Amino acid sequence: MGRNETAHGSANDVSGDIEEFDPIGTLTLIGIYFVILVLSWVYIYYIEFLGRDLVIVG
Amino acid sequence: MHIHAYEKLWLAASLLLILFLLGSVTYGAVGPGVAMVTDSEPAIDAGALDEDERFSEPRVEQVGENEYEAYVLAFQFGFQPDPIVVPENSTVTFYVTSRDVIHGFEVVGTNANTMVVPGEVSEITVETDGPAEYGIVCNEYCGAGHHAMEGKLEVVPQSEFDERTNGGDGE
Repeated sequence: MGRNETAHGSANDVSGDIEEFDPIGTLTLIGIYFVILVLSWVYIYYIEFLGRDLVIVG
Repeated sequence: MHIHAYEKLWLAASLLLILFLLGSVTYGAVGPGVAMVTDSEPAIDAGALDEDERFSEPRVEQVGENEYEAYVLAFQFGFQPDPIVVPENSTVTFYVTSRDVIHGFEVVGTNANTMVVPGEVSEITVETDGPAEYGIVCNEYCGAGHHAMEGKLEVVPQSEFDERTNGGDGE
């Protein structure tokens, strides 16, 4: 059986935490995207937007 | 249904991201008090601004201990008064209207930015810090002279503000 996303574990490793399929590359990429998104948002909102003068308060 | 352990991780991460974005906007509204430009002001007659109590004579007026109101008129192609002079460390509410076409009122490099629609009054309240000088531009294309339509906002020390307002029109 090929190691792809539709691969099913064999009958004797269905239970337990052991995963046959281990997309660590995808997890790493998503982790990097996550960090980029959080850092950009912190910069855009907290530093660029709230840090500017004359914030509209009413 | 079997969900892969990694998939649970990134599902949780995406939910966290959404909560973080919503939380930030909520914090902005509750903490620093960021507000939207609303349509709270009633409509006025754009053709009769010279009879309007606020806009017949565009000016900055003191309305409270440290509160000021600036009545600003936008037109092809400029802003009145020019410059708009307000004191430092005060709360200033701008009431901006247009006598001809749609304009923009953007204090450059700041968050003070609104559309100016004839017949409507845009109201924005800001808090000034120390002395500063800002440019004001129109950011809605309003005609042949749009690119040259600019104004100036001067945040000055209280003493200078008193001097300039009292000296200017002999109050």
